[in-house]
Amino acid sequence: MKKLFPFLRSMRFGMILLVLVMLCSLAGSLVPQGEQAMTYVRAYGASAANVLIAVGITDIFHTWYFYLLEVLLCGNLVLCSLVRFPAARRLFPALKEHTKSAEPEIPFEPGQTEQAEAFLRRNHFRRDGNLWFKGAAGAYGSFGVHLSILVILVFGSLVLMTPRIQDETVMPEQTLTLEDGTAITCLSFHIEDETGKLDYASRLRVTSPDGKSVAEQEIRVNEPLRFGGYKVYQQTYGTAGRVHIRNSANNAEETLYLTEPCFLSIDGKNGIFFRALYPGYLEEEDGSYTLITSTSMGYPDPVYDVQSVTDGSAASVLAFPEETIQIGDVFFTFLLPAEYPGLRIKHVSPVLYGGLYFGFGLMVVALYLCFFLAPVCVRVEEEGFVLCSPKARDGLLISLQAALQDERPTGGQS
Amino acid sequence: MNVLLFAAIILYFAASVLQFAAVAAKKAPLHRVARILLLAGFAVHTAFTVWRGIAAGRLPLANQFEFASGFAWAAALLGFLLYLRLRQEGILTAAMPAAFLILSYAAFQPREIRELMPALRSTWFALHIGSAAFSYAAFAIAGGLGVSYLLRLRKGKEESDPQLKQLDYVGYRMVCLGFLLLTVVIFSGAIWAEQAWSSWWSWDPKETWALITWIFYAIYLHQRLRLRWQGRRMAVLAIVALVLVLFTFAGVNLLLPGLHSYASQ
Ligand code: HEM
Repeated sequence: MKKLFPFLRSMRFGMILLVLVMLCSLAGSLVPQGEQAMTYVRAYGASAANVLIAVGITDIFHTWYFYLLEVLLCGNLVLCSLVRFPAARRLFPALKEHTKSAEPEIPFEPGQTEQAEAFLRRNHFRRDGNLWFKGAAGAYGSFGVHLSILVILVFGSLVLMTPRIQDETVMPEQTLTLEDGTAITCLSFHIEDETGKLDYASRLRVTSPDGKSVAEQEIRVNEPLRFGGYKVYQQTYGTAGRVHIRNSANNAEETLYLTEPCFLSIDGKNGIFFRALYPGYLEEEDGSYTLITSTSMGYPDPVYDVQSVTDGSAASVLAFPEETIQIGDVFFTFLLPAEYPGLRIKHVSPVLYGGLYFGFGLMVVALYLCFFLAPVCVRVEEEGFVLCSPKARDGLLISLQAALQDERPTGGQS
Repeated sequence: MNVLLFAAIILYFAASVLQFAAVAAKKAPLHRVARILLLAGFAVHTAFTVWRGIAAGRLPLANQFEFASGFAWAAALLGFLLYLRLRQEGILTAAMPAAFLILSYAAFQPREIRELMPALRSTWFALHIGSAAFSYAAFAIAGGLGVSYLLRLRKGKEESDPQLKQLDYVGYRMVCLGFLLLTVVIFSGAIWAEQAWSSWWSWDPKETWALITWIFYAIYLHQRLRLRWQGRRMAVLAIVALVLVLFTFAGVNLLLPGLHSYASQ
């Protein structure tokens, strides 16, 4: 036990864990993740596939041992940071004390004192008598980095593990009502903007369950809509057929979207069976049609493949936009197809995302402190200077020497 | 306008050759000419990049060619700025061939200008790709310095030689800069992915390789602190790490397609 604790909080254990995370990531990037078992059998043969699946490499980022590595890494970082925090606090005052009492180790040539001071001033050192210093905050840099790793791992995992995601298609001018009563209306959708540039944008109106708050926004890729705890993304799009139905017996009419095979009938017996919408067709010499299943440009010549059903017998028919088929009193007029958006609706916790993004920001700032604001103390005397810094000493010496050398005429050096 | 691209490649090449000759012959005037050629190459490369940005009507960093060109441009710029600050010829000896090789790789990629995919129209994407160019450039210079370090060791210099110590230190600082920027790359990518595809992390191969590279550099930094590793070992680590960077940059698109496969278009 006496040896275990120091090991668990050691940088060595931390590095071992990092290597293991790296190896898992490597395996996870080389072997396709989360596919059907047959895919692996086809790619690697039955026995290798069985081993890969049994060891979890086919879904490695969700295995118990990958989670365990993350937990151990968090534990290691917490212990290490707790133990080292007091030392970080003492670092800067101790550095100043040490600089005050140390002997000047690097001699100046005559007249270089002013140049060195000018260099320190240019580099934003603060001055206290002949003591120059900066980077007090830098002592906390590595603490901040490790804290931010913890924050990102914890909040990031929670964000990934607790998603409430719903993928829905909403036709233009139709409304989708979510479980809690929030209503999302798709006012319009377009693929290209006015200039012909690909845009994929939906104009949405979202209404809260009590109807009191309403938001309207055009969403597109990269521009989701935020409303209450929801985020609505422009995810995909599709093309749907449209049919206008008029019952001449009572003059009732309605327009419907056709996305999948369905039977349209008033009495349940006679009507139209919609099979599919095709983007184009070729007319053969004998007057028959060959249907095209996909084109590179949407639906240039749409055609509906339908069956008219009357008195128990069905006949296949191709219907072109604006064409009407009459079955009894009912008129089915096929219209030009319409594009509709596929929306992704995500319920997000602002606290979790706030935590994650705070972690991102903290890490960037803390890394900057670590690397570019490391604690440094310099004492300048007539005969030379003392330079103390646990991390930035070599760099400062190189820049200082370069600055001093710049003042003199020199050739290049290699 | 391709002539500008090829002129930049030739100028970077000439600068590298002269720089190597200057190192071998220990001739300061040759260094000066190499620097002038590098600056000329950089100016031409900048003109090409600006022209391409105007022709495309957007930031010219949207596909593999443009990103590789940006990467080379960043290597030249970073190398020169650092040289101005530290006056270390070793930095240019690494940066010049890096700029030449990366821009040559770019020249083999499809170059036609395409409309920006809607998913790429995002400020986060611009930050993501811009910081990636500079991060990779810093790592390329660090790797180049590593190679330079090992070559000088083989020529019989001692690890305690002040010049080698400086090379080692500057390489380490390049890794620090690259690491900070790679962190920005990963985070801006994560925020962008969340805005575009609703998930901040999806273990896509490019993402995973960026993480592998990041962890490798974290290990590099810790080994330097923990075991006071310096010199040869650090140089070897910087070179191995650069191989990972290059795989993340080019290999993943070719061998492990995923969400980022647009980049190989
Ligand atoms: C991916 C994970 C990690 C990252 C990105 C990271 C990052 C860093 C950075 C940037 C530094 C400062 C280095 C420098 O100034 O040159 C540092 C220092 C340090 N890290 Fe980590 N670290 C990680 C994991 C760990 C782990 C698991 C441990 C285990 C205990 C650890 C222990 C330390 C220690 C003891 C220091 C030295 C602190 C100091 O002297 O200021 N790190 N780390």
